[in-house]
Amino acid sequence: MNGAVPLQNGDTVLLPERIADLTGLGELGVAGELLAAFLGAFIIANLMLAMTGVAGPWAKRKITAAFTDRIAVNHLGPAGIFIIVADAVRLLSKENIIPENADRPAYDLAPIVIAGSALLGFAVIPMGSGIHLADPEVGLAFVFAVAGIASIGLIMAGYASGNKYSMLGGLRAVAQNIAYEIPLVVTGMSVVLFAGSLRMSEIVAVQTETTLFTIPGLEWAVPAWFALVNPFAFVLFLIANFAEVGRNPFDMPEAPAELIAGYQTEYSSVYFVLVYLGEFLHIFLGGAIIATIFLGGPAGPGPAELGIVWFLLKIWAVFLLTQWLRSAIPRVRIDQLIEIGWKGLLVLSFANLALTAAIVGVIA
Amino acid sequence: MSTGIETQSDAETGEAELEALIGDRALARDEHLNAPGFVVNPDDVQDVLFDLRDEAGYDHCSCVTAQQYEDRFETIYHLKKYADPTDEVSIVVPTPLSDPVSKSAEPVYRTADWHEREAYDLVGIGYEGHPDLRRILLPETWQGHPLSADYDQEKPQVVTLTEHANPLESDHRDPESDTMFLNVGPHHPATHGVLHVKTVLDGETIADLEPDIGYLHRCEEQMCQQGTYRHQIMPYPDRWDYVSSGLLNEWAYARAIEDLADIDVPEYAQIVRTLGAELCRIASHMLALGTFALDVYGEFTATFMYTFRDRELVQDILEDLTGQRMMFNYFRVGGVAWDLPEPREDFFEQTRDFLDELPAKVAEYNDLITTNEIFQTRCIDTGVLEPDVAKDYGCTGPVARGSGVDYDLRRDDPYGYYENLEWDVVTRDGCDNYARVLCRMEEVEESAKIVEQCLDLLEDWPEDDREVQANVPRTLKPDADTETYRAVEAAKGELGIYMRSDGTDKPARFKIRSPCFSNLQALGEMSEGEYIPDLIASLGSLDIVLGEVDR
Repeated sequence: MNGAVPLQNGDTVLLPERIADLTGLGELGVAGELLAAFLGAFIIANLMLAMTGVAGPWAKRKITAAFTDRIAVNHLGPAGIFIIVADAVRLLSKENIIPENADRPAYDLAPIVIAGSALLGFAVIPMGSGIHLADPEVGLAFVFAVAGIASIGLIMAGYASGNKYSMLGGLRAVAQNIAYEIPLVVTGMSVVLFAGSLRMSEIVAVQTETTLFTIPGLEWAVPAWFALVNPFAFVLFLIANFAEVGRNPFDMPEAPAELIAGYQTEYSSVYFVLVYLGEFLHIFLGGAIIATIFLGGPAGPGPAELGIVWFLLKIWAVFLLTQWLRSAIPRVRIDQLIEIGWKGLLVLSFANLALTAAIVGVIA
Repeated sequence: MSTGIETQSDAETGEAELEALIGDRALARDEHLNAPGFVVNPDDVQDVLFDLRDEAGYDHCSCVTAQQYEDRFETIYHLKKYADPTDEVSIVVPTPLSDPVSKSAEPVYRTADWHEREAYDLVGIGYEGHPDLRRILLPETWQGHPLSADYDQEKPQVVTLTEHANPLESDHRDPESDTMFLNVGPHHPATHGVLHVKTVLDGETIADLEPDIGYLHRCEEQMCQQGTYRHQIMPYPDRWDYVSSGLLNEWAYARAIEDLADIDVPEYAQIVRTLGAELCRIASHMLALGTFALDVYGEFTATFMYTFRDRELVQDILEDLTGQRMMFNYFRVGGVAWDLPEPREDFFEQTRDFLDELPAKVAEYNDLITTNEIFQTRCIDTGVLEPDVAKDYGCTGPVARGSGVDYDLRRDDPYGYYENLEWDVVTRDGCDNYARVLCRMEEVEESAKIVEQCLDLLEDWPEDDREVQANVPRTLKPDADTETYRAVEAAKGELGIYMRSDGTDKPARFKIRSPCFSNLQALGEMSEGEYIPDLIASLGSLDIVLGEVDR
């Protein structure tokens, strides 16, 4: 380790460094470090993709079925888990139909942009157990920035499909993302105020190392997870996040009863898989951000090596919540959604910023 | 009671008054079993209808029947009053074979728009002054009018898509315009069947809208005209409104034929009919609620499955009663096919179990749906249908009652056993999507009351008096030229049937007045100026079934 890579924090050992150490790639100089970084990215991307693979064809079906009084897949393997294989074969072997009026290559690039932007975000997320790809000074800003790229992917998909429903869906997606990204970032800033850094590892460290209060008699130290310090910000962020990832009550960009499937109407086969994966990746990324900045990241009882387990549990908890809302809550109308965003959440998120500043002032 | 034209609506208009009102314009009198008929000159029809609406209070143009005789075409306007649907009058407009054109009733009753288009499409009568006299059920390029006498029934017609219309041809009606033309349907997740709504959008706002129907046209009227009164027609009504409203539809035919052939139905059979019909209404409203939730919530909503779970229980009871899940074919001319299933105690217990659990389930729906704040912001004050507009479009059923029009044939034009039971007509003054949903949910509770009372009656009925069918001849041949128009309160509204006999065992003309057909016409009025999601919600709240719209 020569510490020459500028975007790294000296305190934490990042995944590429570990790989470099373990495999001896570090001795090959810059090329070796690069290779190690690629390997690390490969591992994390595959972990996330595997999770979407479980979530899309199987977990989502099972969860929705539980909410709607059904059984769902149960024939292939235990609890139907091998439906994942069957679905993969099914989806990949379908004909990729490209509309005549599609604007290529925008049409072909959109699924990659949608899926890729979410994957990029995971690069700076500390997942515990030493799984952390990079820890730049601007970590939180980086996550918001790359997640925001998805908007471009959505409007590309929307207009390039040559379908009016896709177009409407793409427009809705952009209007929605702009309206909700600002409250999202402003609420995120309140965390920065609290942590005093944009660096993800420090945000986590501040939450786990500070004790909010100790439960008398039990000697339980309640950590200062930001969700506990400022539940108001947590709720705001959750709501803005649902709008950002387009889930009920804000699933306007797809709104199947209205826009068929919105921007993804014309995608089939592999492209559809990519768009679909991208959606799930975004839900998981949203969950990862929430876990990191509000729920103490990989923190949890037990040894530090269990960090990744706690972290994934927190992500899945957020995922479960999105599916729950999907089953239970109606969607708002597009004009109501914009109104909630600009008139409600934006104002509240600035109020929250002021509130946090006050809290930080008192604590510090 | 009614909020529309009040001139004389509360008083029964006597025939003498009608005669005086129509005066010289009546060329002759015609007797229909349900109402006095006046034969009117094609040029006078509009004036006469205006007078009848404004002076005599006939504010409900229930149905328009068109038919061809050997020497003439004929259009019949079946008029009623919303305040008193038993006060009916038929305006008969004969037109010559050589020039079958009469004045349009559209300026008087908006609902006549589609009815006259259908008459033009199927029979070939023209209407002067009609705003948009095009085919409605058949493709634009169809040759001939299938219910006219000179139409060759044997010759098949294939109308190709390119011959009909090329949907890919022009996306924009006006390249300079800021609006966008969008086809909602015929294949769309929210059209409840094959409905095609041509919409013009300004942004996401509906600027203009035109429902295009006929994709599910199955010649139901013609098929009924080819079946015998006694046995062959009864299975067809199950297939009009096919989402578990079968018995309600069968009752429409039963009522019309029993009127035409003068058949009395035993009391016991009437109670069984009432029981079955109200169970069908519960099942149908459950489905309406579930699909409406699909439209407002999205495709993963739990509500849809919950309503199906409960509808399934009703479906089981109906299956035990009729032997079928959907296509019941349980009513017979003069009664029902058979008595309650044995052992009767089990049937009563099963039905009572369902009724006992129903209030808790309705409470659950209220928790889950109607008290949800997002649901309310979506549904309150969207899809507004003012009572006057509803009447103008001939809306009936929960759609009209959700607009505060207090009109229910079960009470206002009693049939079956409804008169002797304790129940209320549900009305709501909201005039919006929310009011229609609440209306259906409350109607489920009222229907449950009726079912409960029917169960009590059936349980105590003396065993030696369980007559399920009247003694009806094997072949029914009503007297020639008897005409009647009878309607019942189906799940979606007033389901009427006009029949004319020609002395044979098959009807010479069989016309179905579908409530969905009339209700759907009001969609434009409800949705223009609102957003796409409101259009979808309004369409859902109308609760149409395309099998009944297109017939």
